[in-house]
Amino acid sequence: MKIKTVLFFCFCFVFFAFQLATEKPFILPKGWPKPTYDFSKNPLNENKIELGRALFYEPMLSRNNIVSCASCHSQYTAFTHVDHALSHGIEDKIGTRNSPALMNLAWQQLFMWDGAVNHLDVQALAPIANPVEMDENISNVVKKLQHTKYYPKLFYKAFGDSVITGEHTLKALSQFMLTLVSHNSKYDSVMRKETVFTAQENNGYLLFKKNCASCHTEPLFTNNEFKSNGPPIDTTLNDYGRYGITKNTKDSLKFKVPSLRNIEFSYPYMHDGRFKKLSEVLKHYATGVMHNQTLSEELKTPIVLNANERVDIIAFLLTLTDRSFLFNPNFSYPKNLFLEPTKD
Amino acid sequence: MKKIGFVLLFVFRFLSFAGAQSDSTITVSFIVHYNEKNVDLSDSSFVVTDSNHLQIDALRFYVSNICFLKNGTVVLQEKNSFHLIDASNKSSQTLFIKNNNTSFDEVSFNLGIDSVTNVSGAMGGDLDPTKGMYWAWQSGYINFKLEGKSANCPTRNHAFEFHLGGYQSPFNCLKTAFLKSTNQKNIVVVFDLNQFLSSIDLSAQNKIMSPNKQAVLLSEQAIKSFKIINP
Repeated sequence: MKIKTVLFFCFCFVFFAFQLATEKPFILPKGWPKPTYDFSKNPLNENKIELGRALFYEPMLSRNNIVSCASCHSQYTAFTHVDHALSHGIEDKIGTRNSPALMNLAWQQLFMWDGAVNHLDVQALAPIANPVEMDENISNVVKKLQHTKYYPKLFYKAFGDSVITGEHTLKALSQFMLTLVSHNSKYDSVMRKETVFTAQENNGYLLFKKNCASCHTEPLFTNNEFKSNGPPIDTTLNDYGRYGITKNTKDSLKFKVPSLRNIEFSYPYMHDGRFKKLSEVLKHYATGVMHNQTLSEELKTPIVLNANERVDIIAFLLTLTDRSFLFNPNFSYPKNLFLEPTKD
Repeated sequence: MKKIGFVLLFVFRFLSFAGAQSDSTITVSFIVHYNEKNVDLSDSSFVVTDSNHLQIDALRFYVSNICFLKNGTVVLQEKNSFHLIDASNKSSQTLFIKNNNTSFDEVSFNLGIDSVTNVSGAMGGDLDPTKGMYWAWQSGYINFKLEGKSANCPTRNHAFEFHLGGYQSPFNCLKTAFLKSTNQKNIVVVFDLNQFLSSIDLSAQNKIMSPNKQAVLLSEQAIKSFKIINP
């Protein structure tokens, strides 16, 4: 009996030691709120993150095996699609919105501009199935992955099962996306008292706190709410935002408040990418807001800034650029998994 | 060292399995009837040869939270109770539920998936999104799916499509059935497709593919169409 007990505990030890070796706890930046994502249901693990990263860059997720998540969410531009007001997907088909920048997703409850998606795990299903994005379905994706040489191995390493399922595919994608945390901008260094703002940036910060922070709340620079911010409706799109999901007229023309982190790189701006420059966005809040039934309280009085103030506030916004995030090698295309090692 | 661990694990498994043998098992079958005829879609569509030319191509629905009641009180509840019943897959239609000799006189179950599960991320087994019962563009499970054709439908190929689901107010489609049962061992729950379809005017209503008012109304009709035939 005694020896059996000892052996049993030895087995448990070996098993848990293996688990611990690959476990990767989520690091909460100091002073940040508690994440919304329930990590107990999908604890971070190096092998799962690595698999998720491979899937994020995997064009097999699309019908024609050409479009991957990264096609519209490129790392160097804060995981969004720049240069296009409306993002384009499979066979250059044009969507109806600007692809959102991906970062700090662990703190988001609802996803998409209209909050159509209720959990990070199921987010990827929407672009996979959308006929102008990837035009594929998840059961077919699973079949394609199963028929490759390397994915069953990666799934086995991650989940202890080489039979690929939709659940594991989606959970692995979540794991990678959860690691996309941007918290090392100049702003963050200033908050940690490692450096200081210039006089101009500091003035911009004060103006920002006075005029913008009620919706673009620190430290995430979004309050994660849906607001109508008054851009005149584009009659070629007739996009009523959140109303399309809740069918509640109170939600008409409301869109998710986006984070302003890495805003220098995530142009163009607004849900339909109508503004190319930050100066155009400031001009909108000063003179362009269209009054409608659901307009956000905060915008009922125009935000009027003089020329110097506008320059200062933009100088502050540029301190939200996080180069260690934009160029983090852990977030880029996983060459080691897909490319043959070279001899040198 | 590791090998012995596996052997031990196997022994524990066997012991717990052997222990389970002393409990009785309740068999709950879900079958679909149309005018007393069994609707089996395993090999081909189900066709009714009358003037309406009704054809059923797909019928799948979620049954969850199966409970057994005695005098209106829950005495037994299946754990992790989520089942996708598919008229084209015989093995999906029979469920085995462990009973510790509790007696009951009523069975209850939900048609569909509850709101908490709907917002809990990616799930496995019958809840895996690869099962084709999940909406991609707006998160949420499809509780009930019926697809077919009828001469009454003025649509392309006379097709009709009912995808009922939605977990948020005011379009919450989750409905619960309470059915009296005298049988304690083998319970046969019948979905009366004829009754369900008779509540729909296919010439006017032939398509539901998002959470809305019509989906709620049809879910109410669907739950009324379940019955247990007691001898």
